[in-house]
Amino acid sequence: MSSAEVVLRVKDLKKHFPVHRGVLSRVVAHVQAVDGVSFEIRRGETLCLVGESGCGKSTVARSITRLEEPTAGTIELNGVDITALNSEALRAQRREMQMVFQDPYSSLNPRLSAGDIVGEPLTNFDLAQGAELEQRIAKLFEHVGLRPEAVNKYPHEFSGGQRQRLGIARALAVNPSLIIADEPVSALDVSVQAQVLNLLIDLQEEFNLAYLFVSHDLAVVEHIGHRVAVMYLGRIVELADNADLFGTPLHPYTEALLAAAPVLEVDGPRERIILQGDVPSPMNPPSGCRFHTRCPYVLPECKRTDPPLLEVAPGHHVACLRRPVGDSGAPLSIA
Amino acid sequence: MKSNVSTAATAPIATNGDTILSVQDLRTHFYTRDGVVRAVDGVTFDLARGETLCIVGESGCGKSVTALSILGLIPPKIGEIVSGSIRFDGTELTTESEREMRSIRGNRISMIFQEPMTSLNPVLTVGEQISESLRIHQRLDRRAAWDRAIEMLALVRIADPKRRAGEYPHQLSGGMRQRVMIAMALACNPQVLVADEPTTALDVTIQAQILNLMLELKDRLGTAIVLITHDLGVVAETAQRVIVMYAGRMVEEAPVRELLNNPKHPYTRGLIGSIPRRKSGGARGRTRGRLQEISGLVPSLREPIPGCAFAPRCSFATPRCITEQPPFEAHGPRHFAACWEVARIEATSSDQLVSSPT
Repeated sequence: MSSAEVVLRVKDLKKHFPVHRGVLSRVVAHVQAVDGVSFEIRRGETLCLVGESGCGKSTVARSITRLEEPTAGTIELNGVDITALNSEALRAQRREMQMVFQDPYSSLNPRLSAGDIVGEPLTNFDLAQGAELEQRIAKLFEHVGLRPEAVNKYPHEFSGGQRQRLGIARALAVNPSLIIADEPVSALDVSVQAQVLNLLIDLQEEFNLAYLFVSHDLAVVEHIGHRVAVMYLGRIVELADNADLFGTPLHPYTEALLAAAPVLEVDGPRERIILQGDVPSPMNPPSGCRFHTRCPYVLPECKRTDPPLLEVAPGHHVACLRRPVGDSGAPLSIA
Repeated sequence: MKSNVSTAATAPIATNGDTILSVQDLRTHFYTRDGVVRAVDGVTFDLARGETLCIVGESGCGKSVTALSILGLIPPKIGEIVSGSIRFDGTELTTESEREMRSIRGNRISMIFQEPMTSLNPVLTVGEQISESLRIHQRLDRRAAWDRAIEMLALVRIADPKRRAGEYPHQLSGGMRQRVMIAMALACNPQVLVADEPTTALDVTIQAQILNLMLELKDRLGTAIVLITHDLGVVAETAQRVIVMYAGRMVEEAPVRELLNNPKHPYTRGLIGSIPRRKSGGARGRTRGRLQEISGLVPSLREPIPGCAFAPRCSFATPRCITEQPPFEAHGPRHFAACWEVARIEATSSDQLVSSPT
């Protein structure tokens, strides 16, 4: 895995939204939706972005496709810095990254037939026409497990899970190297969610796809991710291999998230950390460590010093003052 | 414990004689241009005082309509309770007048809905909204109701309740709004609280706060809870007893651990198998393999279903399953299921249930 080529490299990505007030619509503040996020995704790998609402995970996904213009930072797709590209050059690069959206009801054009929806990217990029187009559409339908006769149906005739299959087929149409999936299974019932997750895993293996998988659901993330980045208030607070993150979470926020997620295997009451209070506003994030207002282990130092994201064990990054050096002053050992 | 067979017409035995709510063979239909939708098609259960009962199922299984039926909130002309009985503390609710229902609803039976923003009135302060039910139901004067509202806000652990009582819903976060909903619902000390997906719109850390709060208040006030959810994780952590619904019908009922460890109905088994499991200390990378799928689709509720509603998706189905509805009967102590093939299913380990991908 480590030797595989890097498909996406994000460096210090920032996205600040101006807040306008008053009759003159003066900019009074900025919402720091994403504030310095860096990561890489390699071919065939799934990186999951996980966090609660408002943590900036969707803004990261939208900034990478430049559906939102990033405020700062660079985004390299297959070695090309796409933040500097004009719209024409960007359009060509968009072939390499496709998105799958959360809501399969609103992300499909209701006036196009299923075949046209899946074929549209192919015609857009002049990749196929006529009989060849039809053939490729049929092949895509087969890949995502839709019946061939479904090409003539319209989105409203499909169930939620089938619509998400359509969305995936559309994303696959132009043979991208990266698929950005923003909460692709959150709107689906669990039995259908299982079908779509299995499909995504199968397709990844078949086409060696890289996934940026945005989700709030830890169980789904643990199932599909190779590596996981946990976000809180616009920052990555922990980034590690799946097993390390779920096995030895090092950031107190990750720990609390894992403890809060309900699990089936409980025998009697579980030991759980329940965070107090709500997520602070990203318009006015707390000083120092952004998590210090809710952290059960907060130190006086945390209010002043903003901890950097440091690699504390091979591949395991964490942004917490308590981490590289433990409470006793000795370096923390990580299993 | 008796393990004699009971049929759909006779209720499963309640935990004890102390039943606060008893629903018998409830059927709720909706009338649409395309025909009659049998949203609830024969639901029967008893709720004991102070008990937490979860009703779980996927979208369209009838769990929310069951809740609305209990509360008498089925919109007239569009839908109606066509048969069955709902007895609450000795009173038959299905034949009660709207006036009578109003004196019960929000007072002795309360509810919490999924969307706290749409169920709160945006032009009234939260204090006014909590006092309103106290003034109507408990006939408190303005002053006393306001004081009690602040007390309730403190009870649901809203910091600085005096100030918050004077604020409007949009000034509160999602978690705080749901706390206000709980404060409103519990203000009159109801005997039954119906909570329809109360934490689905909330983030996990806030969900954990709200579920904990609900259970704690339940213990303190002795309220029985009917918790409706699609999330088996929430069920595992809150329920005492669980009912699984599919296509408007009950397919299984059991105490929570029994249901999760020993599911009898193939739908329940499929549902449990399709959930990605959170297990700590997993192996490196992605090793959990494929999730179990339930192939096929939920049946249309517009056509009467003569047999088992799950039969078209079930790998155990026999010709009898298609034509004859299985009775909801006991298959163990306090464990009921509506399935003809329980014996065959029990002989199969759950690994063999994995259906092939579509």
